[in-house]
Amino acid sequence: MAYHYLYDMTVFRPRVRTLLIAMIAALLASPPFDAAQAQGARHVHGVLEDSASGKPLRNADVSVEWGVPPGVVRRARSDSHGHFDFRDLPAQRVLLRVRLLGYAPVQRVVDLSLEDVLVKLVMSQSTVTLNQVAITADTVVDALERVTAITTLDARALDATRGQTLGETIKNLPGVSVIQLGPSIAKPVIRGLNSQRVLVLNAGLRQEDQQWGTEHAPNLDSFDADAVSVVRGAATVLYGPDALGGVVRVDHASVPDSGPLRGDVALNGFSNSRQGAMSIGVQGGGLALPLIGRTGYRVRLTTRVAGNGAAPDYYLSNTGFRELNGSATLGVQRNWGTSELLVSRFATELGVLSQAHAGNFDDLQRAMTTPPRDSSFSYGIDNPNQRVEHTTARLRNTFRMRDASEIEVVYGFQYNHRREYDGHGPLRFQNVPAFNLKLFTNSLDVRWRHSTWRGLFGTVGASAMIQGNQTLGKAFLIPGFDLQQGALYAQEEWSAGRFSITGGARADIFSQTTLAFADAGIRSPAGTKSWTGFSGSLGTAYRFADGWNASLRVARAWRPPTVNERYAQGVHHGTAQYELGDATLEAERSLGVESGLRYAGRALSLDVAAYYNTISDFIFLQPRQPVFTLRGAFPAFNYAQANAHLRGVELAGTWSARTWLELQSTVNVVRGVNRETDQPLFDMPADRALLQARIVGTHAQLGSWHAGLGTHLVRQQDGVPEGTVYTLPTNGYALMNAELGTTGLRVMGRAIDVSMSMNNALDTRFRDYLSRYRLFVNDAGRDVVLRVRIPFSNQSL
Amino acid sequence: MHNNVRKLVYGAATAAALIGATACGDSSTEPGGEQEVISRVTLTLSPVGFTAPVQTVFIDDPDGAGPQSPGAQVGTLSLVRGSTYTGVVKFENRLENPPEDITEEVEEESNEHRVIYTVTGAGLTITTTDVDRQGRPLGIRFNAAAGTTAGTGAVRVVLCHYGDSPKPATATSCTADTDIDVAFNFSILN
Repeated sequence: MAYHYLYDMTVFRPRVRTLLIAMIAALLASPPFDAAQAQGARHVHGVLEDSASGKPLRNADVSVEWGVPPGVVRRARSDSHGHFDFRDLPAQRVLLRVRLLGYAPVQRVVDLSLEDVLVKLVMSQSTVTLNQVAITADTVVDALERVTAITTLDARALDATRGQTLGETIKNLPGVSVIQLGPSIAKPVIRGLNSQRVLVLNAGLRQEDQQWGTEHAPNLDSFDADAVSVVRGAATVLYGPDALGGVVRVDHASVPDSGPLRGDVALNGFSNSRQGAMSIGVQGGGLALPLIGRTGYRVRLTTRVAGNGAAPDYYLSNTGFRELNGSATLGVQRNWGTSELLVSRFATELGVLSQAHAGNFDDLQRAMTTPPRDSSFSYGIDNPNQRVEHTTARLRNTFRMRDASEIEVVYGFQYNHRREYDGHGPLRFQNVPAFNLKLFTNSLDVRWRHSTWRGLFGTVGASAMIQGNQTLGKAFLIPGFDLQQGALYAQEEWSAGRFSITGGARADIFSQTTLAFADAGIRSPAGTKSWTGFSGSLGTAYRFADGWNASLRVARAWRPPTVNERYAQGVHHGTAQYELGDATLEAERSLGVESGLRYAGRALSLDVAAYYNTISDFIFLQPRQPVFTLRGAFPAFNYAQANAHLRGVELAGTWSARTWLELQSTVNVVRGVNRETDQPLFDMPADRALLQARIVGTHAQLGSWHAGLGTHLVRQQDGVPEGTVYTLPTNGYALMNAELGTTGLRVMGRAIDVSMSMNNALDTRFRDYLSRYRLFVNDAGRDVVLRVRIPFSNQSL
Repeated sequence: MHNNVRKLVYGAATAAALIGATACGDSSTEPGGEQEVISRVTLTLSPVGFTAPVQTVFIDDPDGAGPQSPGAQVGTLSLVRGSTYTGVVKFENRLENPPEDITEEVEEESNEHRVIYTVTGAGLTITTTDVDRQGRPLGIRFNAAAGTTAGTGAVRVVLCHYGDSPKPATATSCTADTDIDVAFNFSILN
C-alpha cells in the first residue's frame, strides 16, 4: 500500500503524552465546580409561535451553538406552551436554531454578552421542508421519526467516538451491538440481525460494499459524518426491502453555499493498539467556478494507523490496520434547488488474527485449546489480511417545484474492491489474493416530496440499481454475478392534533444472474432468477401528554437470497467451516410489530421499545455432515431456511438530575428462535446494559467540560444453538469506562476540543459472544483514547 | 423559463453520467486458475536389499477443495515382514493440465514444512531421512521398517505448514496449519 511510511506512529507518541499531561494539569489547576457559578452563566428563554395562527409551537427542536463552527451545540424541545430554556450559557453571542416538521427552519444570533435574553421566534409553515428525509448536520427530522425507533448521534455526540469504526461509534445505542474481529472490524447488528439485513446508507446512497459477509465491515470513513442515525426495525419503504433489522444512516451536512473557509483538524491516539488517527476537513462557500458560479466545497482527508491490539495478557497477533480516506464535495444552492457532487475513496488494509486462521478442523481445535501465542507489538500486517477499497461518486440534485414540492434525483456509482490474502499456500502465492472481488454498483433514485394534499405529507419515489460482480481470486468463494433491481414506493403521513399515522408501501423486483464457474474441482452453474415482492409499514403515534409519545407500528420486509447464500462453496478459514450455498433458496420475509413509548422532558428523556418480528424462510447456516478433503475434515454448514422469530426490548434514558449531573442508561435484550427446532438462533447478542454518570459544566477558560464514569454489564450468552463448537456459550462480564473532556478549551486564543476516555479501565479479561475471535483469544484490554479537535476559520462567529 | 432549462440540463447530466458509468459494471468469474490445491497424495515404497515389487498407492480428491470426499485408496501397500523400504511421498495438483508437482514447492520451502507420519495398527516404523536447509527433518523421504509380525494398519500422512510460526526440531504432530491429512492402509505379509 502506498502509505506504508505512516507505519511508525511511535514518533508521535511522546507528543501525545505531553499533551495529555498538559490537559490533566489544566483541568486540575482550576476547580471544576467554578463552572456553575462562572461569571458568564447566562440564560436564553424563548417562545415559538406559528406565524399564521399565533399559536404556540410545541416539540420543536431548538439548538443553541457557540464557538467557532461547528462549535458547542446544546439542544432542547419546546414544551406545550412553545417555551424553551437554556441555562449556563457563555456570555457571548450564540446562535439559536429552530426546526419543526412542517415549518421553515429559523435561526437567530443572540447576544448574551451583557444579559440574559428572552426571544420570540415566529415560524411559518412550509411544505418544502415538511418531510426532509434529506439531512442536515444538526438533527434529522423525518416523518418516520415519530413512529419508528430512531436514535441520532449528532456531530457533538460523534466527536466523543471519533476515530473508531462506524460499528464502534454506534454500538452503545439502543438496539445495536456489533460483530467484532479485534479492533479493526466492527459490523453493526441491529435487533439481532446483521449483514445484508442491516442497511448502511452513506450520504443518501445504499452502501454496496459486499455487506453479505459478516467479516466485511462497512467501508466508510467514520470521521466523514456529521450525523449518524440508527433506525431500528424494518425501515423498508424509503431505504430498501432488505432492511429487516434496521438502517444505519450516515449523513453529511450540505455544503455551505456561502461563508468563509473553515475546518478542523482532529487528532486521536489510542493506547491499546497504539493507533494514531488524523483527519483534516475544510469547507467553505463562495468558490467562483466558471459557468457554475458561486459554489460551496468540502474536502476531508483521514488516515489511521494501528498496530496489534492488546488483550490483558497478550497482544492479538496481526490485528493492526491502516486506513487512508478522502472525500471532496462541490455543491450549489440556487433558487431552483440544489446540486451536489461528492467523490470519496476509502482504503483499508487490515490484519486478521493469526490464530483465527485454521487449515482444518484439527488446527481449529488446537488453536482453541492452546493458550494464545504471545506475540510482540507490531504495526506490521502479515497474512492473513484484507485489503479493501471503496470508491463512491454521487450526484444529488433537488429541484424546487412551483407548487412548493421538491424533486430529488440521486445518481450513485460505487466500486468496491475486496482482496483477501490467505495465510496458507506457497510463498509464491503470498501476494496473490485468495479472494479478489470487484463489485460495481450504479444506482438512480428519484423522489418527489409532494406538497400537502388533503392533509397528507409524503414522498413518492422510484429507484433502480445495476450491480456487477467480478470474482478474480485464486480460490472460489462466490461466482461472478449481475444484479438488477427496480423499485416504486410511496410513504405518507397524516396527522390530526396529537394523533398521526404514517404508512408506506414499496414494490421491488430483483433479477440475479450468476455466471458459470468450473475448474477441475469446483463447479457452479449459470442461472438467472427473479424475485418480486412488496414491503411496507403502517404506524401510528399518539402524543397523549406533553412530551409523551406512544407509537405502534407494523412493518413488512423481505429480501432475496444473496449470491453467497445461493452459491458459496469453500472453507471459511476464520472458522475452518465449510460453507455450502443452496441455489434453490427462496426469499426471506418478515412481519414485525413494534411499539414504543418516548418521553422528552426538560430533565428526563426516555425511549422504550418492544418488538416481535416473525421471519418466514429465515436464511441461516445449518450444520451438516462434515466435508472431507485431502486437507482433512471440516465441519460443514448448508445455507438453509426455517421460520424464526426475534423479539426484544430496548430502553434508553437520560436524566439530568441536576444542571451539573447527567445519568444515562441503555438496556438491550433480544431473543431469536428457530421455530422449527425451538433452538436459539446463532449470533444473537447477549443481554446488555450501559450505565453512565456525567458531571458537566462550563467555565470561561475550560469551555463546556464533562467528566464521567460508566459501566457495561453483559450477561452470559447461554441462548446458543446446539451441535457445533462455534456456538460455545460465553460468560458475562462487566467493564468500566471513564471519560474526561471539554469543548471550547481556550488555548492561545483558539477554542479547541480535548477529551480523554478510558475503555475497559480495569483491564478486565472477557470474551463477547459476538466477537469472531472469542474461540481463540480474549477481547481487547484497557484502551486510553485521547482526542483533540482544533477548529480553524478565517472568520469567527 | 430559465429555471426549467437549468433543471433539464442537470437532469440530462445525471442521465448521461448514469449511462456512462454503467459500462464499468461488467461481471465475470475468472479465478486465476492456479487454485492452490493438492488433489493427489502418492506414497512409493521401494525395497532395500531384496527383490520385490515397488509398492505405490495414492488417494485422489477429484474435486479438490470441493465438497465431495476423496476417493478410496488406489493400490495396496503389502510389505514383507521384517524388511526395510525407502519411501517417498508426492503431492500433486492433477486438476491442472499438465499436473503440477507440489512436492517441488514443499522442497523449495523446506524450512516451513514438515511431513509427519503416524502409524496405527501393525508395526511399521517410519524414520525421516531428509532435512531442510537448517538441518531439521523434512519428511518427503523416509525409511519404513516393517515389524516382524504380520497384520494390518494405517499410516497417516500430515503435511504441516509452519508459515510464520517457528518450525520445531522434532515434532510428532502438526502444531501449525495442516495442508494435507490423509491415511493409507497397509498390511504386513506373513
